Amino acid sequence: MNLIWKLLRQHISIAQLLGFVLANLCGVFIILLGLQFYRDIAPVFKDNTLNKKEYLILSKPVSTLGSVLGGKSGFSQKEIDNLKMQGFTKSVGAFKSSQFQVVGGIGAEQFGVSMATEMFFESVPDAYVDVKSKDWTYMEGSRSIPIILPKNYLNLYNFGFAKTKNLPQLTEQVIKMLSLNIRIRGNGRSDDYKGRIVGFSNRLNTILVPESFLDWANNLYAPQKNALPSRLILEVNNPSDARIVKFLQDKRYETEGDHLDGGKMTWFLRILVSIVMGIGLIISVLSFFLLILSIYLLLQKNTQKLENLLLIGYTPAKVALPYQILTIFLNCLVISLSVLAVLLVRNIYVNYLSGTFPVVGNEGITWMLVAAIVLFLFVSILNTLIIRRKVLDIWFKKN
Amino acid sequence: MESIRLQSVCPTIFQSLDLSASDVWRKNLSFRKGDHYLLEAASGTGKSSLCSYLYGYRHDYEGLITFDEKEIRSLKVKEWTKIRKTSISILFQDMRLFPELTAFENVQIKNRLTHYQTKKTIFSFFERLGIQDKLNSKVELLSFGQQQRVAFIRALCQPFDFILLDEPISHLDDVNAMIISELLLEEIQKTGAGILVTSIGKHLPLTYNQTLVL
Repeated sequence: MNLIWKLLRQHISIAQLLGFVLANLCGVFIILLGLQFYRDIAPVFKDNTLNKKEYLILSKPVSTLGSVLGGKSGFSQKEIDNLKMQGFTKSVGAFKSSQFQVVGGIGAEQFGVSMATEMFFESVPDAYVDVKSKDWTYMEGSRSIPIILPKNYLNLYNFGFAKTKNLPQLTEQVIKMLSLNIRIRGNGRSDDYKGRIVGFSNRLNTILVPESFLDWANNLYAPQKNALPSRLILEVNNPSDARIVKFLQDKRYETEGDHLDGGKMTWFLRILVSIVMGIGLIISVLSFFLLILSIYLLLQKNTQKLENLLLIGYTPAKVALPYQILTIFLNCLVISLSVLAVLLVRNIYVNYLSGTFPVVGNEGITWMLVAAIVLFLFVSILNTLIIRRKVLDIWFKKN
Repeated sequence: MESIRLQSVCPTIFQSLDLSASDVWRKNLSFRKGDHYLLEAASGTGKSSLCSYLYGYRHDYEGLITFDEKEIRSLKVKEWTKIRKTSISILFQDMRLFPELTAFENVQIKNRLTHYQTKKTIFSFFERLGIQDKLNSKVELLSFGQQQRVAFIRALCQPFDFILLDEPISHLDDVNAMIISELLLEEIQKTGAGILVTSIGKHLPLTYNQTLVL
């Protein structure tokens, strides 16, 4: 082996190989660092509410043209079915709205003091209602309607209106004691009902009545009208799932709240890391070609020697071996140095970030090491095959 | 390997030539193990071509060449490397030594592959051929005659059934030619190998069973 190496190392260009090592070091370092960084940082954007039920409320944007022409946006059954098929969806519920006229009033007519306003009702399937109350039921024909108001309304009154007007602040309990006078008109009928506020919702930003009531009342007061749901409530497993953001962007749906910020950041991070890793990959591929080119040149310059070795009885495998070992050694060197550099850099950013985000660094380095080994094996096997092929070419050229 | 057979072999380049005067081209003949053959020819009649066909590194010929009835075009890379290590040895006309290695290393590079000769035997070859002082000299610094002797020693560093010597003494004096003959005969005494020598004038001094004109 020594003599063969002594012979075949002729014409090895240290500068070329050094160029390869540096270029490949850059490429592999960027790829591995990108991967490690993603593994370390992604948990920051993930909610700790993993596997907890989360709800998103989707709507379509209101267009200016639609406002002017009076067009209504809504979700068709096809769109709802499509949403149900997405991997991140657990279940989908539709908001139904009242198709009849509602006037709500408060006060005591016997004292001649009353206020009344036109209003509307909406409903969602009961499973999506976050207020658990035994009163949240409706018996067909009953004159008493349970109502859930958004918590925001109470807050607006208590912390906005009441404070500035020196009015008393009201608790949920006090409001629940109030009763609303509700008049419903439609289909040639007009009936009075009593509205009972049974709770306040953090999730649903609307005046909510039980779905069973709305179905019955729509049927009774507006039998011909059938409107598409304008909003959907979506139950998801993980609101930081980047697929949700992507899907909603593609479909141009809007969502309430900031549940998706984590998902957006994860998605953004993924894109950023993909770009960086892509650049690393390009550098690696180019440096790989540099190595192959350098080895080709070496083989070319040593063709005569290789030919003679083959002629005195050396097998192509034996002749290729020194160059194969050389490339494997270089690849090993590059991968080891890259892993070392990534660990050094990781140490720095984990120290820097772990104060603010304790989850940084919890993921470990397994994936990065696996990627490094896979990269090493892939490149080395490819190098080995190319060199063997080239040596066989020399053999057959002679034939 | 017991015999090498040529059936109507002719270099592609000689296709259009009248080769009726040749004892080899377009004829049927066999080289048998144990016999000594002298292939005489003028320059350019295909001596080295014949050696390269028999050694399997050129195939630009018509006709059939068989080793023990096996057509050599069908031999695989692996089979050729085995033949070159154990069955056929060659002294190339252009020697094909490695100029950046020393004379001894040039021999060793073959002997390490075959482990056929001992170091002591190799030294004795160098000594008998009068180049023991060149053992550690780089081949590029040796004269043609000295290189020819190194290449010959290398050719002896393997077992063989046939040895092809392509103008083995073209750069040697009669004394060295004699020593080469002696060494060769001593070696083939062990194995009973066949010898094929080409020559353009000066013959390696041996008793030949057959002289063929190319």
